[in-house]
Amino acid sequence: MTDISANPPAGMPAAKSSLLVQNDRTRKRNAAEKRFEIYGMMALGFGVLALVVLLTSILGNGLSAFQQTFLVLNVELAEDRLDKTGTRDLEEIKKVSTFGYAPLINAALEQKMATLGIAIDGMDAKDAGDIVSKEAAAQLRDFVLANPDLIGTTQEFRVLANGRIDGYFKDRVTMDSAEIDSNVSVEQLQLADALKEAGALTTGFNWSFITAPDASDQRPEAAGLGVAILGSLYMMMIVLVLALPIGVAASIYLEEFAPKNRWTDLIEVNISNLAAVPSIVFGILGLAIFINFAGLPQSAPIVGGLVLTLMTLPTIIIATRASLKSVPPSIRDAALGVGASKMQAVFHHVLPLAAPGILTGTIIGLAQALGETAPLLLIGMVAFVKEFPDAPPEGFFDPASALPVQVFNWTQRSDPAFVERASGAIIVLLVFLIAMNTIAVILRRRFERRW
Amino acid sequence: MKDHHTAESEIMTDVKISARNVQVWYGDTHAIKDVNVEIKDKTVTAFIGPSGCGKSTFLRCINRMNDTIDVCRVEGDILIDGEDIYDKSVDPVQLRAKVGMVFQKPNPFPKSIYDNVAYGPRIHGLARTKAELDEIVEQSLRRAALWNEAKDRLNQPGTGLSGGQQQRLCIARAVATAPEVLLMDEPCSALDPIATAQVEELIDELRQNYSVVIVTHSMQQAARVSQRTAFFHLGNLVEFGETSQIFTNPQDKRTESYITGRIG
Amino acid sequence: MNEQHIASAFDRDLEGVTAMIMKMGGLVEAAIVNSANSLVDRDTELALEVRNGDKAIDGLEERVNEEVARIIALRAPMGSDLRIVLSVMKISGNLERCGDYAKNLAKRTSVLAEMAPVGSSSQSIRRMAREVEKMLKDALDAYIQHDAELAADVRNRDREIDQMYNALFREFLTHMMEDPRNITACMHLHFIAKNIERMGDHVTSIAEQVIYLVTGEVPDENRDKQDRTSYVTEPGGMRR
Repeated sequence: MTDISANPPAGMPAAKSSLLVQNDRTRKRNAAEKRFEIYGMMALGFGVLALVVLLTSILGNGLSAFQQTFLVLNVELAEDRLDKTGTRDLEEIKKVSTFGYAPLINAALEQKMATLGIAIDGMDAKDAGDIVSKEAAAQLRDFVLANPDLIGTTQEFRVLANGRIDGYFKDRVTMDSAEIDSNVSVEQLQLADALKEAGALTTGFNWSFITAPDASDQRPEAAGLGVAILGSLYMMMIVLVLALPIGVAASIYLEEFAPKNRWTDLIEVNISNLAAVPSIVFGILGLAIFINFAGLPQSAPIVGGLVLTLMTLPTIIIATRASLKSVPPSIRDAALGVGASKMQAVFHHVLPLAAPGILTGTIIGLAQALGETAPLLLIGMVAFVKEFPDAPPEGFFDPASALPVQVFNWTQRSDPAFVERASGAIIVLLVFLIAMNTIAVILRRRFERRW
Repeated sequence: MKDHHTAESEIMTDVKISARNVQVWYGDTHAIKDVNVEIKDKTVTAFIGPSGCGKSTFLRCINRMNDTIDVCRVEGDILIDGEDIYDKSVDPVQLRAKVGMVFQKPNPFPKSIYDNVAYGPRIHGLARTKAELDEIVEQSLRRAALWNEAKDRLNQPGTGLSGGQQQRLCIARAVATAPEVLLMDEPCSALDPIATAQVEELIDELRQNYSVVIVTHSMQQAARVSQRTAFFHLGNLVEFGETSQIFTNPQDKRTESYITGRIG
Repeated sequence: MNEQHIASAFDRDLEGVTAMIMKMGGLVEAAIVNSANSLVDRDTELALEVRNGDKAIDGLEERVNEEVARIIALRAPMGSDLRIVLSVMKISGNLERCGDYAKNLAKRTSVLAEMAPVGSSSQSIRRMAREVEKMLKDALDAYIQHDAELAADVRNRDREIDQMYNALFREFLTHMMEDPRNITACMHLHFIAKNIERMGDHVTSIAEQVIYLVTGEVPDENRDKQDRTSYVTEPGGMRR
């Protein structure tokens, strides 16, 4: 491969080639490495492209969930409708169902139209009242039950508009589609336009998407993530309180104290296997043990939490073991040399140094658990839950939902408005996951500097 | 030359560590074969020998660090002040407070300098008040010739010191538990010549209060620092005697070959 | 067990310095023999040769000292290596002194050649010188072969040298008392004899270095010295 420019004298080595000229081998190798770099960048490019497409789709569908159309109405809380006895007795007032409140809303809307001078041909009062969400009646009833002494007065209410109306302002529903749609009429849309122009109808940020509980199929506009977020939160709390101590303790025992024999080898292999078990198997396990055998309530965060704990344990154990292994043995030797017992060496020296790794592993485990759906479906969390669970610890036993399960639930529903809701829920879920992972990264960086 | 020998042996010091028929097995390998040696109090004894000859293994028997290795088995007697340290009633943790160790690579805890030195006294309950603990820390740092450099930075991490200073910190840490014996496993091998010289000077001072046993690869260091030297070869203790005699006129041919650089 | 150092350059250094000693030894042996012959044969040219040849011996001694300093600094010799190096240094010093004595002998020979010979003293002196030369040869052989017994033997033979010197001393006294004209020549001859006796002591010292090299211990200082000349003029004199 080297260039022999002249015959070297006998006994001397061949003349050296110039460094400024690359030989064939080097050139080929450089070309191959360059190709490899390009492959890597292409792979990266595909990944980024896929991510961009995914995010665009989700954001495109879901961001609108955070906006909602509202109406501002002045409703007269007519005493003759709501409290016929006039005694303000709660039991009596409760007897009035939401059906009794609907006319009040219709009357208020009619009055509004009259005030603003809006008149639409071909529309009667009931049709007009239909543009308001059916949820409004329940909202009104709850208000009256909470403040019975306000019966007889006129209060201003901010009520949700009907799902189709809301969809009209989000371009899901058009005048054309309204003609063949049985749930909305063209006149209602025109009314909505007129109200909007007059300022009685607004589209604004929708806090209740995050705070309100789930709503039935007919009321996508009222559906919210409140219960799901609370349910997920409870489950995360349970996972943290259970999986972290158990996982770390088991890991410390296995790494530092357990004798190295066949039994411990067996346990190690099984832990790694557990991490690879499909999550739905844990769901079946949870169903069989926690619900059938132990009799815990279905769809409760406690069961979900327990199942997720079992799933997260292997992750935490593996992460903890890796962190413990990464602590150099010289620290252990130093501690033992000074006269610390094995327990003291582990708790005073090894554990603090392994803490960043353990923390990171835990947070990643929690983030994974947050997004798990399959096991929760099996233990019944797919139910429709409208009431908020109580505060812990009783709240752990009340039925609740979970974020990923809520997404699944909403995608099953027929109303196209739920597509928007599901995408919005995915955005919320993603935000939580990104936040948790970012915290993990920050914590790791911060602790690593001290080490 | 002979007059010098007589003068040395007339210094009456007690036997601190006595090893009799010590055997050590690593699994099936017979690593230490029938070692008998007596180490005197308030002297520096050096263990020399080629790699793998068992000197570090034997050193680690003296503070029972070999207990942490599952496959290691020790037989024979090792007595410190006449007490068998492998007796069932002996707690290795308590033993290690009495027999301190300094390792090859400086390994201060990733804590402050103060906490590094204070850790031992804390876990052994040697100080009742903070003032007493401060006192112990200061005295240990002085004994390790580190006080002047460290007194203004006691709260800074120990890992921020230079290599030689870190090793002296490790010595201070070992000394803080008021041991009677100091074991040093190649303490200078990771240090530059100046730090090495400082640590050797320190060892010479430590001799006044402790029995020091030092394992070293450098024969020059063993010659400079110790009063008695033991030569190990393939698990056997080949020769043990006054340092000056071992290095000018060794009795065993293997010793002669090793120190003149003819083997290993 | 390997006889060679792992660092072969160390072996070469030691061989080099030993070779220098052997060379020096050879030169000194020749100087002794030649100076003695020149005395008996009254050969002033040979005497001059011997005197000039001493420069080479001195030069070698310097080189040996430099080489030893270098080895000590660079190799930090221990055990037998240390003893080799230390003994080489002392031996070279001893050899250099022997060389000086030989040169002195040659110098006095030039002077004595102008005077009348005194009896058979010069032959006795030559005999003494030959003995010393044999001792030196054996001492150097013992050094090369690490033979402590031969060295001990050499050490004992110094007794004979001392006895020969005693005899010569009495002879010179007698000659001087017989005829005062002999005094100058006898004085010179006496110095020559004394120097040869001193050479014997140096060779003995070389033998002692050999014993130190081999056994690691310097032999007992109380060897049997037979030099009785100090007591000559006292009552009871040399019978002590």
